[in-house]
Amino acid sequence: MMEPRTGDRVRCATGIDGLDTILYGGIPTDNTVILTGSCGTGKTSLALEFLIHGALNNENSLFISVTENSEKLLANIIPYRFFDKDLLKSGKLVFVDLPAMYDRLGMTKAELSMEEIDLLVASISSLVRELNTKRLVIDSITSVCYKLKTPEKIRDFVLKLSKALSDLRCTSILVSEVAPHSNAYSLFGVEEAIADGIMLMSNLERRGDLLRTLQVIKMRGTMHSRAKYVLDLTPVGVLLVPLLKGGSAGT
Amino acid sequence: MNLTSMGIPALNDHLGGGVLKGSTVLVVGGPGSGAEFFAKQFASTGQEPVTYFTSTERDEDVMSIMREHGWRTDINIVNIGTKYYENVLAKKLEISKFRQEGITLQDIRRIKDKDAGKEENFLTFLAYEISKITPPFRVVINSLDFFLENYDSSEVLMAMRTIKAHTQHSESVTLMTMLKGVHESRIQSSIEDLADVIFELDREKIGQEFKKYIVVQKVRNRPGLVGILPCTFDQTGIRTC
Repeated sequence: MMEPRTGDRVRCATGIDGLDTILYGGIPTDNTVILTGSCGTGKTSLALEFLIHGALNNENSLFISVTENSEKLLANIIPYRFFDKDLLKSGKLVFVDLPAMYDRLGMTKAELSMEEIDLLVASISSLVRELNTKRLVIDSITSVCYKLKTPEKIRDFVLKLSKALSDLRCTSILVSEVAPHSNAYSLFGVEEAIADGIMLMSNLERRGDLLRTLQVIKMRGTMHSRAKYVLDLTPVGVLLVPLLKGGSAGT
Repeated sequence: MNLTSMGIPALNDHLGGGVLKGSTVLVVGGPGSGAEFFAKQFASTGQEPVTYFTSTERDEDVMSIMREHGWRTDINIVNIGTKYYENVLAKKLEISKFRQEGITLQDIRRIKDKDAGKEENFLTFLAYEISKITPPFRVVINSLDFFLENYDSSEVLMAMRTIKAHTQHSESVTLMTMLKGVHESRIQSSIEDLADVIFELDREKIGQEFKKYIVVQKVRNRPGLVGILPCTFDQTGIRTC
């Protein structure tokens, strides 16, 4: 077996044990990673955990919510045993609603122009700069893409955004929604090609049980396992165990 | 006959006493033709309570003209211009500031309490406000241009039809002003078609002076009343001569 390349890039440890093991220590810093999956696969939970661990580790963390009201989201994470409300007070963990930004910037039309895309990237960047954000989650990038419509604009947006975030030394997770049973990693098929990494979350039915699974498809700057792991959402956070092939009845 | 005054004695005389109650009156003219002034003189008269919708002036500007000419000041001014400024223009200004200077966390947070108020549809607001007035009423809409600039012409026409019907059934009177020659001819024709009475304020340059006219363009079912009345503007208002 090849010796894993692990020493050449600084890591942003996700704080999720199993995931850090898969990634040989964490996401290479400054990477922009697509976290994709159909609904109910645990994307938001995993992304939130990534941020909370960052904030606990004194890294400023920012959650940009697109679809859900951030207050509602907060109610969901409070049960986590490792969550500390002081993180919000101290500003280590910040929640922002993207619709509020759209409104402030007057982006009320159903489709954004190229100029507005630049403006949106600039606004997110300036927020990251202002807050000195080291970890960012946008949930979901798919909802932003609905306002972009064409593959060209989506490509332009994701490229510019990941470049800007990387320049600001920010490690980012862009949550992406796909239809169940879809073979693509993103709804528009564009985001995935540009991202530095892709982590796929799925549902897997086995022996009458619906399992959540996680698989790292691609991650620039590091070796990683490509095996499928079973994921458990618990009050102590995400738990990952290898999906045992033996005894599987298939789907 | 059931007539109501236009506020200009000689014009009333020409019309045989005034316009029929239930009429929707349109006043058109180019910039500087005096349509807004005409509207105020119209508001100064009649037995009905007056509601004056304005999109171009401040309340005090309307009142000072009324006082200056010794006209009634017990009119209810509904200032759509001010509302528009507060709701739309101020926001546009703020948007351009954010686009230019960038946006901070505080800016994003602040909006949460502020954006509760949805952007208002002023056309709906106008129709609703008129529907609330106890008839018979005297309403001035100065001017239609504001609505035609901001909303689809079909929406404006629909609202004007509603207001016209309400005016008609309640035996009230509504006057609206509109700039001449700036809107699509199809829209202008539709509005003119809807109006029961149309006055156009016109002028011609003769030597060093303007000669001014009230052109009675249309009086529904009284085609004999159309005509041209030379007029002057002075301290007492518009007078025909």
